[in-house]
Amino acid sequence: MHAETIADAETGRIVELPEAPTRAGLAAIDLIEGVRKSWLWTTLAEQDVKLRYRGSILGPFWQTLTTAVMIGGMGFIYSKLFHTDLHDYLPMLSVGLIFWAFIAGMVTEGCGTFISVQGIIQQVKLPFSLHAYRLVYRNLLTLAHNFVIIPIVLFLFPHPIVWTRLIELVPGLVLISIIGVWVSILLGMISARFRDVPPIVASIVQVVFFMTPVMWPVQALGPNAWWAQLNPFFAAIDVLRGPLLGQPTSRYSWAILLIMTAFGCAASFAFFARFHSRIAFWV
Amino acid sequence: MRRLLRLLREVPLPHRLLGLTSLSFLRLRNVCVDFPIYQGSSRSLKRALLATSTHGNLARDALDRINVRALSDVSIDILNGDRIGLIGLNGAGKTTLLKVLAGVYEPSQGRIVSSGSISSLLDTNVGLNSDATGRENIILRGMYMGIHPQEMRTRVDEVAAFTELGHYIDMPVRTYSAGMMIRLAFSISTCVPPDILIMDEWLTAGDAQFLDKAQRRVEEFVRGSSILVLASHSTQLVEQWCNRVILLHQGRVVTMGPVKEVVAAYRRLIDGAIPEAAAQIAAAG
Repeated sequence: MHAETIADAETGRIVELPEAPTRAGLAAIDLIEGVRKSWLWTTLAEQDVKLRYRGSILGPFWQTLTTAVMIGGMGFIYSKLFHTDLHDYLPMLSVGLIFWAFIAGMVTEGCGTFISVQGIIQQVKLPFSLHAYRLVYRNLLTLAHNFVIIPIVLFLFPHPIVWTRLIELVPGLVLISIIGVWVSILLGMISARFRDVPPIVASIVQVVFFMTPVMWPVQALGPNAWWAQLNPFFAAIDVLRGPLLGQPTSRYSWAILLIMTAFGCAASFAFFARFHSRIAFWV
Repeated sequence: MRRLLRLLREVPLPHRLLGLTSLSFLRLRNVCVDFPIYQGSSRSLKRALLATSTHGNLARDALDRINVRALSDVSIDILNGDRIGLIGLNGAGKTTLLKVLAGVYEPSQGRIVSSGSISSLLDTNVGLNSDATGRENIILRGMYMGIHPQEMRTRVDEVAAFTELGHYIDMPVRTYSAGMMIRLAFSISTCVPPDILIMDEWLTAGDAQFLDKAQRRVEEFVRGSSILVLASHSTQLVEQWCNRVILLHQGRVVTMGPVKEVVAAYRRLIDGAIPEAAAQIAAAG
């Protein structure tokens, strides 16, 4: 081991360097510094949304229009296909699809958390967590744009809304955003190292879409409903959809979300602590 | 007159004579940087998983990962008022060292401790959006430097004036020439005097008139006890801008000291390196 001392070129004194912080300490500092730079990632995320639709008349509401057209088209066809009443089917489908787009968007974009900002990571020292916060916030903004469809649908096809239950949306969105942060950090790191991960994740998400009760009601599975209820994607959609449609939340959903948050944060933090110094070399 | 100014510059600053601790500094101890070179199958998760699950000792081959040691055992102290020039041949590790100093790369071994705000000009187009105008980009790049858009807005005119880009400042950046990009990037990065300014050699691509202006600005804030680290191939630029020079060769610090001595050593290295290379080719042939 080399002595960590050297003579100060100017004064001739021996300068000793302070103890290096631990990896976990550095990772924690990164996460906190990222939060403290919230003005930066909120501004960048807002700009991302604006720039994506620069020059178009509707701006970010193009996204809303696309979603609305999709819901309209699918709603009519699938309600016939499933022999269900459009009045019941369309609200379920629109709320489900909008939240699915939010959740799936975070997972698929999460693969590019670090790859997509490679130029920045290579040139400027910024907390790595900042890129994950930006991504989650950007998806929240997109969700907010899509959300305007929901009141319209619920107005056209009235549902018994229990107003007090709408408060459940808050913890639901908070938990899902926290999950979004760890997912995007974890997937972002793995994808930066292994470049075949993003297409793999994209195909998995595609398959999961059809296996998750978004387009079809979970009750359709009958006695096998528990099988779909254990799907974490369903749990996330369920805690948001239930209160909006005035339906009871499935019994496992909150538990699954809490477990996902706790274990995911722990596992992801361990991984981030171990490898965050490598990110700049991977991207 | 010029000689007198230079003499004045070389007189140690009072706080150094008194041995007071530096305000800003960069200290490196035994810093090594290993670059994993990922190519082909080493980028594949499938290969990595198969390699570890089937034959443990084949993993290295299947992963075909090569480590390149870009910096080895670098120990330097850079204190305030230092204008450091980094010289060396291509691939000597200059840019890697700059990135370590800027905090972009974490050393694989060794330690780096720094104090003071760091502004790095490694690439001219960091954080620049090519469709946005020069003026918009001033705010954008300022954000990546940690300056809030509100504060940056008050400085836009000042930065725009320094660039001397005239009406081009309101044009999209994609219409800019390389020289104009340099003007813009330099002006933004130095609009708030950083404690430590780290610059890569692209600056030399600027025109002489702007270089003079840039040098005056840098000298101004280095006199205010800041640090400049500049990598360059041009010994002339280093002689003009720097008061200490570090010569890197194959990732190691060869010498470090006053400009003239180190530049002379660099010249000898160039003279030596060419016959050396010729001998290598002859041996291989």
